[in-house]
Amino acid sequence: MQLFRARPMTRPVEVAEMDALLGRVAAQQDRAAFATLFGYFAPRVKAYLFRLGAPAAVAEELAQEALLNAWRKAHLFDPAKASAATWLFTIARNLRIDALRREKRPELDPDDFLPEPEAGADAGMMVAEKERRLRLALKELPADQIQVVELSFFADKPHSQIAEELGIPLGTVKSRLRLAMGRLKRAMGGDE
Amino acid sequence: MIAHHAPRDAAGIAHHPEDALLLAYASGIADEAASLIVATHLHFCADCRTKAAEMETIGGSLLDDLAPQPLAAGALEATLAKLDLVKPYDRPRRTLSRDGTPGVLRNYLGSDLRDVRWRRMGPRLSYVPLFRRGAVAARLLRGTPGADSGTHSHQGTEYTLVLQGGYSDTTGSYAPGDLQVMEAGQRHNPVADLDEDCINLAVTTGRLKFDSLIQKIAAPLFGF
Repeated sequence: MQLFRARPMTRPVEVAEMDALLGRVAAQQDRAAFATLFGYFAPRVKAYLFRLGAPAAVAEELAQEALLNAWRKAHLFDPAKASAATWLFTIARNLRIDALRREKRPELDPDDFLPEPEAGADAGMMVAEKERRLRLALKELPADQIQVVELSFFADKPHSQIAEELGIPLGTVKSRLRLAMGRLKRAMGGDE
Repeated sequence: MIAHHAPRDAAGIAHHPEDALLLAYASGIADEAASLIVATHLHFCADCRTKAAEMETIGGSLLDDLAPQPLAAGALEATLAKLDLVKPYDRPRRTLSRDGTPGVLRNYLGSDLRDVRWRRMGPRLSYVPLFRRGAVAARLLRGTPGADSGTHSHQGTEYTLVLQGGYSDTTGSYAPGDLQVMEAGQRHNPVADLDEDCINLAVTTGRLKFDSLIQKIAAPLFGF
């Protein structure tokens, strides 16, 4: 199986900048802000869907739809909980399940949970800092660990099949994922 | 099989999904039935909710680092032209559950747990089919106090998530929110706790193989 290697063509944009653009879309339906978000994220969502096996034309169409969904849902975006990139990822993920796999995405009902205590003004900063650390830690994962993490996102197949194609036992795939998650959590300042 | 007596955490949960399963849910690779099992566990488990959110952050980071694939000329203009035609997304408002049924499950039941119509498959066991996709089936199972589901093994994987009451087998005891995953070939004999009905969400990816002759004959009739 081909090992996926990310080749960012542009330097990752500052997390806070994208969050602010999304905030402007939510607050005042700012089209210029949306156009900037579109220019950055639509080609990445297209790459994501293409990587998961969608034909180029379908990936193109769904990338536009994902950004349209982001416009419609912008008022639900909470920078204290996730960055714009993470939020866009969940939109693209759910769109793929709905449109390409024709299944439902079982999601938690937010009404089932008590509202969380008001996040401090720096909660968004904490998210940005956590993501910055995560990004660094992802790049430093051993090759065999980042491989199974990436395949968990980009190969549309269960871990048993990933194991088979890599020629390693399923238990090895699982233990590599466990090791990777442990490292990433520590990097993000998680208290294990 | 070795019994492992996992400690219960603050939320009273002792058996969590392993990282690979949680990651499959967060990445969207898990199928709908496995996703329903994980999402229902997340309803009970704040720790795993945090973990799943962190895994989504990995998704965001990987998305950010993907080599962009340029869209066709005019894609932005085409999308901008649609902005005025679409309505802001409005999250569906649901009535509150009267018995604490997880919302993610109510979407499949169409009602609260206490209002579902159970189908009997014996004096002590009943079930409600939720959906089936090929060999994968999702269903609710209910056993009366002390009900013995019969020793069985599995052709595929069996995921069991306790919703109410509890049960025990040779691997340990399971209470609301706990997830048990039995891989193909593993055998167990779950017995419901004595104090109340035990209700589980169960997903199987292959048929169950019962030891007893009666169950061997009966199981296929009920779609097991």
